[in-house]
Amino acid sequence: MLVVENLYAGYGASKVLTGASLEVAQGRIVALIGANGAGKTTTMRAISGMLKPDKGRVLLDGKPVQGQDASRIARLGLAHAPEGRKVFGPLSTEDNLLLGAYSRLPLFFGFRARSIHDLERVYDLFPLLRERRLQAAGTLSGGEQQMLAIGRALMANPKVMLLDEPSMGLAPVIVQEVFNTIRRLKADGITLLLVEQFAKSALEVSDYAYVMERGRIVAEGAPAELLKDKRVLAAYLG
Amino acid sequence: MDFIIIAQMVVSGALMGLVYALIAYGFQLTFSTSKSINFGQGELVMLSAFFSLTLLDWGAPFWLMVPGGLLFGVVLGLAVERAGLRLALEQKSEGWILLTIIIGLLGFSAAENIWGRDDRPFPTPISSDAMQFFGVSITPLEISVAIGVFSLMGLIELFKRKTLLGKAFEAVSADRDAAELMGISATRTVMLSYGLSGLVAAMAGILVSPITTVGPTMASALILKAFSVAVVAGLDSGFGVVVVGIFLGALESLTSFYLGSGWREAPGLILLILALAVRPNGVFGKATIRKV
Ligand SMILES: Nc1ncnc2c1ncn2[C@@H]1O[C@H](COP(=O)(O)OP(=O)(O)O)[C@@H](O)[C@H]1O
Ligand SMILES: [Mg+2]
Repeated sequence: MLVVENLYAGYGASKVLTGASLEVAQGRIVALIGANGAGKTTTMRAISGMLKPDKGRVLLDGKPVQGQDASRIARLGLAHAPEGRKVFGPLSTEDNLLLGAYSRLPLFFGFRARSIHDLERVYDLFPLLRERRLQAAGTLSGGEQQMLAIGRALMANPKVMLLDEPSMGLAPVIVQEVFNTIRRLKADGITLLLVEQFAKSALEVSDYAYVMERGRIVAEGAPAELLKDKRVLAAYLG
Repeated sequence: MDFIIIAQMVVSGALMGLVYALIAYGFQLTFSTSKSINFGQGELVMLSAFFSLTLLDWGAPFWLMVPGGLLFGVVLGLAVERAGLRLALEQKSEGWILLTIIIGLLGFSAAENIWGRDDRPFPTPISSDAMQFFGVSITPLEISVAIGVFSLMGLIELFKRKTLLGKAFEAVSADRDAAELMGISATRTVMLSYGLSGLVAAMAGILVSPITTVGPTMASALILKAFSVAVVAGLDSGFGVVVVGIFLGALESLTSFYLGSGWREAPGLILLILALAVRPNGVFGKATIRKV
């Protein structure tokens, strides 16, 4: 569903990705783990078009999308829940969710009626968001904002979802909740690329995993195999 | 007696102040999506007024001229975005400041060449016979200014709150990158904001022309005042520009009545300096104006 081939990207003179390749098959959860600053967020940004890759290919459902605008890649079915959540603070929780479905909805009238089904699905997944429907997203707690960011990405009914450090800065109980949510999405058959600091938990929920180091993939395999790899264990799962 | 004179000054000044507010609102629209404003906005007001007058000269009925003039303003706004903003914003440069000033100058000399330097009256079917309210006289023409300003600002605010496209506009204002991730094109949203700010400028031109006459320099004082209002109110509060606009308009007419018309521009300047010293983000504002 998502194929990344030999990707190079960076910020001006600082080259971050130096030939990263990975693959996410339909209905699979794939973890991307690695130390801080390894280039995981940069990988996601280069996939979703927030950052234009210098070289390499990104195939979404078989079609090359590298170099296109983020908005176009999103309309093609890629939903990126970015690091730091980036909810629309002044807008209500529900407006944030509606905007998640922006590319599928009429622009002027009737968009709410058309999205009731999807809204209900997200509210069932995150009942707290239903309670906070009319509240400005900026006033939600960190955990609630993360739920909102995930819900907003789900509203797009994406082919592939990128989820960058959903547990960052959250209390341990909430982190557990985030992983429970991911398990439920997995049961629904979501296609997901997941970046996480909690590498062990990430490996538990995923079908396949890549280890990134200084802008390259240095190890990959089924979670069970990686958990046996002494090098990986020592570096990331200590 | 004195009280009635003061009330009269306040009311007429406030109505003029609403025009400042409307133009300032146009600055806010583009600033929110792109952190940029059109420094040639006054020329958009003036060119739209001239174009509307030409439509009348060609025999267009008044109520057909209005949408025609507004549409012209939208086209001008889009042209400014394309020629002055797009490239500069893509390259994250501040070149748009110079470019919009130059485009404004071009518009000014174009107007002089096409329509001449003389001020011309702008015919209107709306009466300017004064009506008395508790001793204060107001003309239907002045009331039409208030109605025009409030209905256009109200419509745009409704659009932003009630339609998905409007919410997308707000989303780009809040977080451009995140909006792009939703499939919202930031470039198109910036275009939309410039189209709307052109619309607003044209409306201001059509509303004031019957009162002030039409000429190449008709908007030069207006735009400075609108700019003061935008800075004092902050570049993100539509409510704020109305309050500050009314306040400044009233203050100006009181000043020119009591101190002489030569002092008319003083309150705007003093207000601007005070605001920059005390509340650089605007009395009602949160957004930074550092870049402007
Ligand atoms: N906006 C940026 N500008 C310049 N350098 C950046 C920027 N964002 C990240 N970097 C650098 O790129 C490298 C990889 O960062 P990142 O992709 O965020 O790593 P990770 O997500 O794996 O922690 C780091 O060295 C970081 O300092
Ligand atoms: Mg990161």
